Amino acid sequence: MTNATNSQLEVEIAGVRFNNPVWTASGTCGYGLDMAELIDLNKLGGICTKGLSAKPMRGNAPWRIVETHGGMLNAIGLQNIGARAFVADKLPELRKYDTRIVPNVFGYTIEEYIEAIQILEEGEGIHAYELNISCPNVKAGGESFANDARQAAAVTEAVKKAASRPVIVKMSPNVTDVAAVARAVESAGADALSLINTAVGMAIDINTRRPRLANKTGGLSGPAIKPIAVRCVFQASRAVKIPLVGIGGIATTEDALEFIIAGASAIQVGTANFYDPSASMKIVDGLADYCQRNGLKSINELVGSVVVD
Amino acid sequence: MSAFGKIIDAVVPVERNEIVRSGSSRSYGYLRLRLDEPIPVLPGQFAMLKAHGIHEPLLRRAMAFYRQERMGEKLDVEFIYQILGRGTQELAKLAPGDKVDFLGSLGNTYDINFAAGREASHEALLVAGGVGSPAVFMLAEELLKREIPTRLFLGGASHGDLCGLNDFTALLGKERIACATVDGSYGEQGFVTAPLERQLKALAGKPAVIYSCGPDPMLHAVAKLADAYEVPAQLSLEAPMGCGFGVCVGCAVAVKHDCPANSSESFVYKKVCTDGPVFWSKELHW
Repeated sequence: MTNATNSQLEVEIAGVRFNNPVWTASGTCGYGLDMAELIDLNKLGGICTKGLSAKPMRGNAPWRIVETHGGMLNAIGLQNIGARAFVADKLPELRKYDTRIVPNVFGYTIEEYIEAIQILEEGEGIHAYELNISCPNVKAGGESFANDARQAAAVTEAVKKAASRPVIVKMSPNVTDVAAVARAVESAGADALSLINTAVGMAIDINTRRPRLANKTGGLSGPAIKPIAVRCVFQASRAVKIPLVGIGGIATTEDALEFIIAGASAIQVGTANFYDPSASMKIVDGLADYCQRNGLKSINELVGSVVVD
Repeated sequence: MSAFGKIIDAVVPVERNEIVRSGSSRSYGYLRLRLDEPIPVLPGQFAMLKAHGIHEPLLRRAMAFYRQERMGEKLDVEFIYQILGRGTQELAKLAPGDKVDFLGSLGNTYDINFAAGREASHEALLVAGGVGSPAVFMLAEELLKREIPTRLFLGGASHGDLCGLNDFTALLGKERIACATVDGSYGEQGFVTAPLERQLKALAGKPAVIYSCGPDPMLHAVAKLADAYEVPAQLSLEAPMGCGFGVCVGCAVAVKHDCPANSSESFVYKKVCTDGPVFWSKELHW
């Protein structure tokens, strides 16, 4: 039987060693502790927390979620307890687990990003930051940072200056050229990229003729977006040298392998946590079995091994 | 200790389970599920359910426990649900021997200690509409066990929508149940709030508490009556849920909030799944 400390599954990203490449995605596992009753957090490679801002956020009015074919739309509105409460109330308990803690961070201005990072810098036991520059849910009075290579680079550069820990920038699929944004963010100093965030979508109730989400549009997640995500990882892996973390509809070992072969050094399980909380655990076991069966010394041998003629 | 509040420590994905009875009409389905692992189930709590092995739809469905029965080392739990969309249509196909993806018990419970009172017990007025009634059956059982005077006000669109009427009648007796149907096919014609209001008037200030579950418009009407007659009310809410255990934050409900003076925010969003589903009506920012 394989276990979480199996060295075959160890990966290193931005100088941080992860026991395995399976993380839970931001917004799908609360602050990590919310999953502790259901899964063994020690068996996870990493945990990306719910997006944290400098100040607590109330979030959007309901309805906030709607199920669609192969996925769901959400417009939660980044409801969160705030970086300060995370450091004070969640982190001390969370860091008792043998996993890597990656707070997801967002803001509406560069100053707000910096403010959130400065609060988190005071917390002990954080291994890296994941920067949400692409959440499509919140009206920031304009385009999101992720939609423009220069804006994405600007926020990355500013955060890098404020952060003592590695910075993983989470990319949006809602762009024309994901490779161009990836290159800009790499040049600005990003230590790694995670991709993808949700794809903007919409659903309408045909009886009331109203949008089914109070926010009108929301982020599409789940297996429905997986092919888009694999394509984005593949394109980014050709564009940058920094490590990639794959996200988007991953629910099984096969899904995870597809992302790794496309170029991801690690993966995040998201929406699957909702309907199968043990999905991440099964993937950890499944990856170890795959390595064994295929005679791989390390999962790293698979990263970016896609065969393209 | 009152069990009202967050009870997440008993959440178990019971993988070894089996449907032992199922049935459905055009609008409603019934399931009796045998869990190999007996778990604590409190009145008002719910489970997340999905037919095992299906890929579509993805998400499990939240369903209130109707009844429970200990079967030796195992536990049988029952559900009555409305067949509304793809998820419940799949559940309606389940037959004895089938398995489900099960997660429970989720959510809080009704504050029964409140009805028991410190000195004298309150009269418990259960108000249920349509498929909300299964969520108050175990509550009625518990109230009777504690010898708390209990009445049920049961409403629905039509006779067939009075879920669990026969079981409630066997439990409480006909004289303690008042029914109302919109089409007049059973009980009095109209909404269930009419017999409820008559009872509130008849109480003439005697201590009482309302426990309610049903469609939103009914809960709003119940909350209004509770306010007018100064009777505290606990409402069990329904909301679309992605997970049922607090991580998706999809099932938000606005709850009043004591705010700092310089804040314009008079409410916060709480989660129906882990902060509820039962809330005091006075808490809700409606």
